[in-house]
This record gives sequence, C-alpha cells and structure tokens, in this order.
Amino acid sequence: MTALRIADLVFRWPRQARNCLEIPLLELGAGERVFLHGPSGSGKSTLLGLLGGVALPQAGAIELLGTNITQLGGSDRDRFRADHIGFLFQQFNLLPWLSALDNVLLPCTFSSRRRHRTGPSPRTEAERLLGHLDLRPDTWHGPAGELSVGQQQRVAAARALIGRPEILIADEPTSALDAERQQIFIDLLLQESAAVGATLVFVSHDRRLAGHFDRIVALDDINRVAPEHAT
Amino acid sequence: MKAVLRLAALSAWSRRLTLGLTLIAIALAVTLLLAVERIRTDARQSFTQSVSGVDLVVGARTGGVQLMLHAVFHAGTASNNIGWESYRAIASHPAVDWALPLSLGDSHRGFAVLGTSTDYFNRFRHGDREELRFREGKAFAGVFEAVLGSEVAQGLGYRLGDAITLSHGLAERGPEHGDKPFRITGILAPTGTPVDRTVHVSLESITALHLDWVGGAPLPGVTIPPEFVAKFDLRPKEITAALVGLKQRSDVFRMQRFINQYRGEPLLAVMPGVALDELWQSVALVERSLLAISALVVLVGLAGMAATLLAGLNERRRELAILRALGAGPGQIFLMLTAEGVLVTAAGALLGLILLTLGSGLAAPWLVERLGIVVATRLPGSEELALLAAVIGTGLLASLVPGWRAWRMSLADGLTPKN
Repeated sequence: MTALRIADLVFRWPRQARNCLEIPLLELGAGERVFLHGPSGSGKSTLLGLLGGVALPQAGAIELLGTNITQLGGSDRDRFRADHIGFLFQQFNLLPWLSALDNVLLPCTFSSRRRHRTGPSPRTEAERLLGHLDLRPDTWHGPAGELSVGQQQRVAAARALIGRPEILIADEPTSALDAERQQIFIDLLLQESAAVGATLVFVSHDRRLAGHFDRIVALDDINRVAPEHAT
Repeated sequence: MKAVLRLAALSAWSRRLTLGLTLIAIALAVTLLLAVERIRTDARQSFTQSVSGVDLVVGARTGGVQLMLHAVFHAGTASNNIGWESYRAIASHPAVDWALPLSLGDSHRGFAVLGTSTDYFNRFRHGDREELRFREGKAFAGVFEAVLGSEVAQGLGYRLGDAITLSHGLAERGPEHGDKPFRITGILAPTGTPVDRTVHVSLESITALHLDWVGGAPLPGVTIPPEFVAKFDLRPKEITAALVGLKQRSDVFRMQRFINQYRGEPLLAVMPGVALDELWQSVALVERSLLAISALVVLVGLAGMAATLLAGLNERRRELAILRALGAGPGQIFLMLTAEGVLVTAAGALLGLILLTLGSGLAAPWLVERLGIVVATRLPGSEELALLAAVIGTGLLASLVPGWRAWRMSLADGLTPKN
C-alpha cells in the first residue's frame, strides 16, 4: 500500500520567475522509513510545506493515504495534517510556556482522531511515550523551555508520535544535537516510528545519518529543477 | 475553538509582564472614563435629590444658577441679602402655602451654618418628597441651640448636649463667635444632601451672634455676653434667601412675576428645576469635553495594546508555525491573536471597574465635603455598562489588526518561519 504519492508536481513561489519544484513521481510505501537527502536550498522546506498542506502546487497531485490533498479545501487540509501527520523540526519545536507533558498532548487537542487513537487516557499515553524516549518524570511538568535541547527534541518526538499518525515527517531533527547523540536519537525515532507503524520521512542534508533507513531518496534526483534555481 | 482560546490564554500568561503593563494602562484609562461618567451622573443625582417640593427659590437679584447654588447647596456667596419685610410680603401672599427663610454666612469647622425657622424641619423635602427625620433629639427651640446634619455630627464626633462655637464667614478659621456657644439639641438622620453637612440654628441666633458685630468684624470694645442678648430685639432684619411652596403649582409663573417685579427691592425667584437645567446646560460642554478626553485616553491605551501585540508577533512566529504544524488553520491563528487582545481589554476594563469602585469608596468623603457630590459605591449603571461595552468593542476592533497580521504571517510562513 502507498502512503505517499507525488505525481507531476509543479510548484513555484509567488513572484518567482522559475519553478522551485518539478517532481514527476515519488512513491513511499506504508511503514517505509525514508531518508530524503537534499542540500540546503534544494527545496526541502517547500516540499514539506506541500506535504503538510500549508502550500498548494500549481499542478500535480499529492496523495497521502489515498487522499489527494490538493483537492481539499484549506481547513480540510489543516484537519488532515492534524489527523495523520506528525511533524518534527530542527529545534524550538515546543511551546516553551507549556509543560513537556502538555506539549506532547497538543496534537490531541487539535485532532479528536489522534486523541481517540491514544486509547483510554491520552495522558497515560503521553507519559508512556516520554518514558520510552528516556525522559525522567521530573522533567515532565516544568516549562518545556527549560529543558536541554536534546530533551526538547525527544519531547517533540513524543508529540509527533502520539495518537499514532500514519506519516511522520522529520526535518533535520538532529542538527541541534552533538554527533554522539544524533545517531542515538535517529535510532530511537526509527524504532518508535516502526512501533506505531508510521511512514517516516527523514529529511537531512547530512548523508552520514542515512545508515539505518530502509531507503534513501535524493531530492536532486527526483526534482527536475536544477538546484541552484530552487530555494 | 475552546482549545485555541485556552492556548491563547496560556500564551498570554507567559507574556504577562508586557501584557500586564498594557492591561494596567487600559485599566487606568477605563477608570478615568468611568470616573468622569460616574461623577457626572452622581453630581446630577445629588443636586436633583437635594431639594424637592419647592416651587420657587427667592433671593437678591443675581444669576438663577448662583442663587440656587448658594441657597440650596451652600456653595459660593450671596451677592446681597433680602430684607425681612420683603420676605414677609412674599410669605403672606395669598398664593403662598409656606415659606422658609434661610440665613447663611457663618460656618462651623468648614460646615455651613443655616439660620432658619423651626418650620424647616417639617416643611423641607428632599429626594422623592422625603421628610427630614431626627436621629436623636429635637428641633432647636431657643437662641444658642443647634441641630446638626448627620455628617457634621459623625465627622466631628458630636453628641446631644455638646457645646459648639461658630465662625464668622465660610473660611475654616474665620473670626470665632467664641463668646456665644451653642448647645446641640438634635441630630438629623442622613439624607445624602447638603442638609447632612449643615448646622441648623434659629434666625434669632444668627441675629444674636452679630449683635456686637458691624460689617463683618466685631465692634472694638463692645461685647454683649449671651445672657444679655434676650434683652435685644432678635427679629431678623435680613435673610439670604427663601424657599417657597405654593398652594397651587399653576400659580408659579404669576408668583415668579410678582417677586421679580417686587417694588421694595430687586429680587429674583427661580424654579429649582429650571435653574438646575440651566446649570446642566452650562456644564454640559465641560462634561462632554471631559468624556471626550477620557475616551481618547482609552483609545490611546487600546492602540498601545494593538502595538504591543503587533510588536510581539515577530518573536512569536515560531510559536505560530508550531501551532500550524499541529493542525491549526490560519483562522485559528487569527482567532488566537484577536482573543488575546479582547482578553487583555476585558481584563483591563474589569480592573478599571474595580479600581473605580475602590477609588470612589476612598474619594467619596472628600467629594462630599469639597464638592457636595455624593458618590455612591454601587454596581455600574446602564450608562457605565454601555461605556464598558464600547471599550471592549473597540478593543475587539483594535485586536483585529494583530489578528489579521498573524493570519497573513501564518499563511506566508507555513511550517517554517522566516526570520
């Protein structure tokens, strides 16, 4: 089964002379864990915005879990993102004025589907995830802004995983970590996304991290726009 | 929606220092606005309540407002007195039901002293035709007896039987009539009118006080001890003003004409309602200017709030992008920012109302004493609620600006904020 399918996609930023992305085809299977490689400026962030449904392509289809999200209205795309996609960014992923636990629970307030999929108690599930990601209970209740960067990234991972979204998109989530912790974090992410059965799209410019993934895709290979013209 | 509002509140709480200052600015502006409005309505209320059932106020020829202010509110000074004969002529006119002579000019520790007849305690009405009631004691019967208004008694701690001395003139420390002490025979129940701040004595007492005075100063070398005053003719020669009640209200214009054209001396008769209307008309411009200025101050406060929210938006770009990634739509981002502004405005308005309530409680004695305005500590009236609603409505309009900006920003940024 296909979790993600991009066909004949064309995207250009407003007031730009050239296309940013032209992707004839990209297909990812359900549960596949993919390392998407692209140097900075290759259009990675743009592609993630398209997958998240916060931007619309000029042409082409983006099918997620069988739904062509380019056909959905704005608020339906927002709901689709909340229901099915967990996001994880470079850093500053958390709302610093909420506790770690409340940050993890945020997707459950935006998506009733994710809340129902946590089982009887979202809170218990959030605590289980935090524990799984090696966060001690004494870090759960203080303001998230006071945690170390590594701890914050693990809280963000727990938030992306809660309610078992089918698609997990991680955008350079390890770039703020030191080399030693990078691999530990990636292994944890691979393991947890496998546990929830999610399709993982791990985006990075750093090829050295690609070791443990099922598949490696280079954005330059699938994008027909020459990299120096993309943003 | 509820979740978004909860997040808006939590986010606002995390920036409570900045927002708190904005909130205090709004609260102070609202306090000012409400205070102007409250003093305006309470001033009217207390002036209107001060006299009831009086058809005409009579005095020497002067302005109607001035006569009213002096005779009823004991404010300012009379330009001239009226002769006792003129008063008798008016009081005995067939159309007149009753008349009360008023003699002002002395004071006791800042409180006005009113010389009048004992009829005053039966005839005088205030508020909704309410009579004066004695809390203790009874009316003065003879010379050198006084009846205190409730505030005089309470404020100065007097009881029945105490002796007080009066001062000449209205200054707090005028020359003393120290040689002729008064005994307190009665204390009136509170009325919420100038009566509360008045010392009432008989007209004869006023004459007796001034037997050895000429032209506002004691006659040098002449003192008439109190025990001898009875030997003099104590009938008043002059009074300051008179309150007149008619048998038939329809006679009021005829009577007014009679007094205004009185041949013995130049007199003026005014209808209290007309004089008050004249007063409101003359202060309306000031009132409206004050209201307009305080409304402007509120606008400045709300503009400051909108500016604070706008300025904070850049630092919150990441926060907004996180919420977008979690599934918040641009509409929810708009709602969140707008709600924050409305929340700050509403909290500011509420705090303003609380400050007003506390402040009016603290300032009430001073307002009563200095301006004769009874400011009641009470729930906001309908006009004040309308003002509060207008403030919050304007706050909503002002909050649409940062809301709209955040909406644009979240559309442009998507999931990755551009810094």
